[in-house]
Amino acid sequence: MMELALKRNIVSKQLLCVGICGIVMFFAGLTSAYIVRKAEGNWLEFEMPVWFTISTVAIIASSALLWFSFQNIRVGRSATQLLLGTLILGFFFAYSQVQGWEQLISEGVYLTGEGSNPAGSFIYVITLAHLLHLVGGLIALSVTTIKSKQGKYSKENYLGIGLTSIYWHFLGLLWLYLFLFFSYT
Amino acid sequence: MASILVGLIILLIVVVLVQILRVNELLSEVNDKDANEVTDSDNNTQGILFFTIAGVIYLALVLWQFKYWGVHILPPASSLHGATIDGLMNFTLGLIIFVFFITQPILVWFVFKYRGSKNKAAFYYPHNNKLEIIWTTVPTITLAAVILYGLNVWIDITSADTSDATVVEVYAKQFNWTARYAGDDNTLGDSNFRLVKGLNELGVDMEDVNAKDDIVTREVHLVVGKPVLLKFRSQDVIHSAYLPHFRVQMNCVPGMTTQFAFTPTQTTAEMKEQEGENFDFILLCNKICGIAHYNMQMKFIVESEEDYNTWIASQKTLKNTLTLK
Amino acid sequence: MSEHHKETFITKYVFSLDHKMIAKQFLITGMLMGIVGMAMSILFRLQLSNPGESFAVLEFFFGEKWAPGGVLDPNMYLALVTMHGTILVFWVLTAGLTGTFANFLIPLQIGARDMASGFINMLSYWFFFGATIVMLISLFVESGPASAGWTVYPPLSALPQAIPGSGLGQDLWLIGMALFIVSSLLGGLNYIVTILNLRTKGMSMLRLPLTVWALLITAIIGVLTFPVLLACALLLIFDRSFGTSFYLSDIIINGEMLHNTGGSPILFEHLFWFLGHPEVYIILLPALGLVSEVMSVNTRKPIFGYKAMVGAMIAIAFLSCIVWGHHMFVTGMDPFLGSVFTFTTLLIAIPSAVKVFNYLTTLWKGNIRFTPAMLFAIGFVSTFITGGLTGLILGDSALDINVHDTYFVVGHFHIVMGVSAIYGMFAGVYHWFPKMYGRMMNKKLGYFHFWVTFISAYGVFFPMHFLGLAGLPRRYYTNSAFPMFDGLTDINEVITFFAIIGGLVQLLFIFNFFYSIFKGTKASQNPWKSNTLEWTAPIERIHGNWPGEIPTVERWPYDYSKPGADDDFIPQDVPLTEGETEH
Repeated sequence: MMELALKRNIVSKQLLCVGICGIVMFFAGLTSAYIVRKAEGNWLEFEMPVWFTISTVAIIASSALLWFSFQNIRVGRSATQLLLGTLILGFFFAYSQVQGWEQLISEGVYLTGEGSNPAGSFIYVITLAHLLHLVGGLIALSVTTIKSKQGKYSKENYLGIGLTSIYWHFLGLLWLYLFLFFSYT
Repeated sequence: MASILVGLIILLIVVVLVQILRVNELLSEVNDKDANEVTDSDNNTQGILFFTIAGVIYLALVLWQFKYWGVHILPPASSLHGATIDGLMNFTLGLIIFVFFITQPILVWFVFKYRGSKNKAAFYYPHNNKLEIIWTTVPTITLAAVILYGLNVWIDITSADTSDATVVEVYAKQFNWTARYAGDDNTLGDSNFRLVKGLNELGVDMEDVNAKDDIVTREVHLVVGKPVLLKFRSQDVIHSAYLPHFRVQMNCVPGMTTQFAFTPTQTTAEMKEQEGENFDFILLCNKICGIAHYNMQMKFIVESEEDYNTWIASQKTLKNTLTLK
Repeated sequence: MSEHHKETFITKYVFSLDHKMIAKQFLITGMLMGIVGMAMSILFRLQLSNPGESFAVLEFFFGEKWAPGGVLDPNMYLALVTMHGTILVFWVLTAGLTGTFANFLIPLQIGARDMASGFINMLSYWFFFGATIVMLISLFVESGPASAGWTVYPPLSALPQAIPGSGLGQDLWLIGMALFIVSSLLGGLNYIVTILNLRTKGMSMLRLPLTVWALLITAIIGVLTFPVLLACALLLIFDRSFGTSFYLSDIIINGEMLHNTGGSPILFEHLFWFLGHPEVYIILLPALGLVSEVMSVNTRKPIFGYKAMVGAMIAIAFLSCIVWGHHMFVTGMDPFLGSVFTFTTLLIAIPSAVKVFNYLTTLWKGNIRFTPAMLFAIGFVSTFITGGLTGLILGDSALDINVHDTYFVVGHFHIVMGVSAIYGMFAGVYHWFPKMYGRMMNKKLGYFHFWVTFISAYGVFFPMHFLGLAGLPRRYYTNSAFPMFDGLTDINEVITFFAIIGGLVQLLFIFNFFYSIFKGTKASQNPWKSNTLEWTAPIERIHGNWPGEIPTVERWPYDYSKPGADDDFIPQDVPLTEGETEH
């Protein structure tokens, strides 16, 4: 399959990007449901928990570190340290999400049961969906970090870091969209 | 025992089929022919078969069905808007039948005429933009007409003036229908599902002044020629109020109220003369709703104003049937 | 080209990375599920045309619990209707059609060794297999399989108290569908990326066979719309299992007042049909692609209007994403929206008409060879005309008022999907069987299969239009509760009669298929004398498809009976001769 090997870089990235299109449509479905439901009234208004702002900062910072790690490997320098930093921030993002949910609960915004409202339910479901996709990203990051530590990447071959970057930056952009969406609609 | 027998019979059939096919192939080999090659004779047979079965017989049977089964189609609509729907339906049916009886014969004629043989050749004809434009434009114009006509009817129906209409609520639940007349004030009392209890099957808010004269019934009477606005609610799952003779259909969705307005134009008595003594205007459920979905029905009776007044006077208002405490 | 790993039974037949094997896995799974779905319809039709009568076969399949005394239980009737729809729409017509032919044909027809990622492709099949197991298990749970219709509208599908199948059966249905959607998406990724990147030298987009175009367009709308169904299902899962109120509000069921408020079942319908409508085009487009190919090869002339055919498919795909509201005309939606959806829905008739006229012109002055595949391809045109025309009535909101959810709809969608698209699938199987298995399917059985199916299919579904215009609702366990339907018994009996015959003759096809795999006459390399690249690959199917270099493409695939040529076909890898112009 020599022909495929030559195109492996492009093909892998395109596969990932088409997959990302699918994920975008999934969240498009969820956020349009949110908009349609909101227009019908009986909608609880509340502030975004501070922890979600912290999440936003964390994920943007993690993307920054990841970008720098990518710049490193492109010129042949080790990406391991920065990948590790990204991973840690990624886990912190997950932690801050859970903290955000707990903050919502303490403010009386529930997923279900007595006193719950679709406005709250949507926030939980959609952020949970994002988090589940992020878990996939954490797995990819972990694998990439380990491989980097093992010296598997070089100036000539860093496809794994490239793919992980695309997906991770997508997750960051998606979170940013969701955060702004919830804050301003 | 029976299943073993059935299993053995199936096995036998399979074995027989296998043998027949093997014999068929061996015979072909003996004759130095390929059993599966499509010959000119095959083409001839299949071409003729296609013309005969998919053409002549199929089209004849379609006509037969229109003649003998067409009688079962609903009688002309018994409502004002229903008549406009019927007009649109006849137009559209006429159009599609026309297109059907042009395209299908062309198809089977080509299939017959151009059945292949070794000494014939096909005509290399890859494209013709003019033709494409023609059969893009003609359907577009035709559909423009269909769309305009259709939207006209739809807008008329959905923007009908309901200010004079008698308001009647139709309440759906697993597995029956209940009607609630709005009474003299022609305003339905508020309702809330949390108030459903005991005799208050519809959850009417008896604190609402409009509710006192509401009348709950198990069949609906309407005055011929007078507009009625049906408002629909559901207690549990989605049902659909389908009144085929009036050309009325509207989903009943728990958590919201939907509505449909129409004016009946024929009395039940007239229809009985036309369609037979057993005829009744009927409300059916037309959205899958559970085990007895096939048996949710309520009678609609269209009558003169005097008959209707007699009937409604004999019904009890909610003030009299529901305890207030 | 043996840089490949040594193949074991497991890597060759089970966890294969080879697109041809994966295609066959999809095909056989789809066919077997098709038998199950088909059997369900015959069984529930027995009840419909002979209501309340006892049938030993019903008791055999459903036992004392679901068919007491040989009479089908009404809940099981609705369960069968639901599972029949689910299995045939998704398992047979989506996975069985796209999964088979996209996997099999794309690399071979574009001149690639395999899909962009054999691994993702393999995952795509095994997710499908997992979905199949989950769906099959759901058939045997105590409270019964999902029973709210294949469209699973809540609240009915959310509340086990409303119908027993909405308990565990519905949970398993949702899990099965989630796995199925993942499978579809994984497949779609491959199809798109492979077609865009791995075409051989000379294979420009406008030299692609129409089959490949159809599969590319299908994959694109699949990737865009299936995820929305996943979102829809996710919210339903939350309503069912976590007490949220996305779709539920103001409900008293079985005397129990539920806590949900603020939800809307109509929201579910919007999300569902946003996929649901494109889904039927995801089913139809590959069939259109397959038929284009079969028809061209067997008329020995080019498919007429190649660019128009491509443009029409793109138009159909685009329009299919903006018509979903025509399934919701009677939900009480804003009438303006109703007008918009009528407009867009009726517009789809235009590219569809263009395609039909192009097929007719392809047949005109052809030299038609009636292989069983060709019979099904022509049958496709006949039924697509019939079924498509009734769509004009259903797409018109005012007319839909009285035919929505009646047998008119059932007749329409069966003729376009259950007949037309299936014919496309049969045409594909008969036509590409020699490439898949190196042998020919039996011709006489093929002819017999076609004619009995053709007659039975029209016999089953054409009469349904009359039932619909008589006001008969769908999903009714029996029509005997309303005297107004008493006159329709004859029609129902005719339908059941043809359904049984049509169903049984499919077994003959299954027999022909499996028999021919082992005992069919050996095929030559290019038995149909076709131009497309798959027929330049050797009969012995090898990993990597071509033993040496991949052929280079010199022309478009439709040079059949080209003036000046020696033969009535010129394969795509044959260079242009001196003075010959490309089409």
